[in-house]
Amino acid sequence: MNKSHQGELLITSENDIVVARKIVRDAATSLGFSLTDVTRIVTAASELTRNIYHYARSGVVRWRFLNQDSTVGLELVFEDSGPGISDVEQAMQPGYTTGKGLGMGLPGSKRLMDEMKIESVVGKGTTVTVRKWRG
Amino acid sequence: MATENISVIKLRDLLLVTVPPDPDDDTISALQEQVLQAMTRQEVRGLVLDISTVQTLDSFFARVVSETVQMVALMGGRTVLAGMRANVAVTATQLGLTVGNAITALDVDRAFDLLNAAPAGEPQP
Repeated sequence: MNKSHQGELLITSENDIVVARKIVRDAATSLGFSLTDVTRIVTAASELTRNIYHYARSGVVRWRFLNQDSTVGLELVFEDSGPGISDVEQAMQPGYTTGKGLGMGLPGSKRLMDEMKIESVVGKGTTVTVRKWRG
Repeated sequence: MATENISVIKLRDLLLVTVPPDPDDDTISALQEQVLQAMTRQEVRGLVLDISTVQTLDSFFARVVSETVQMVALMGGRTVLAGMRANVAVTATQLGLTVGNAITALDVDRAFDLLNAAPAGEPQP
């Protein structure tokens, strides 16, 4: 029972999206999430890690276990020093994108997770924090 | 390296394309190329895209799949997307993804039945 309860992964290449999915899958599975919840969490992680790679080229993904009022959960933080998001509200609109994507990543990830917080400063970078609680 | 995992098999006049469980973006893009090349090279009238082992269907994957379906349709072929797992379907729907005009089937067997039952040359709905 010496499993670590947190960790981080540097994102520097496209292949790191796959690595992030694997790490997040392992973390969510070890917390006892259902298969569908694991899939939700991994899919959100895939979207948000791809955002780091596409918009900032590099960044970091952090994960940690949560334990609040005897409910366990998983927190994922996606941090980059990229261009930032000038209008977060607009970025949350389904179909809105400044890139080549479908514009589903941010609003879709919010639906898949229980909580989402976006902090972004233009020219400085973006930090997206998501949480999922085990029901 | 990753693209080795894509299997494209010709069965009579159909292609069976098997997607690996956790493909990276390059592999997914390569899959589209391989499918289009195989459509050109081989005389086939459609393809079955077997995604029964796929664990994560995110927006990039969904976009490439729906694009591929459209390209194959323009070339006169039909695509059946086969074997999406329940947990993947739930997640894709919540994420807001669609797979364009792809016909879907519960598994590869039923996908072949669908393609074989369809009269040749009938446009995809």
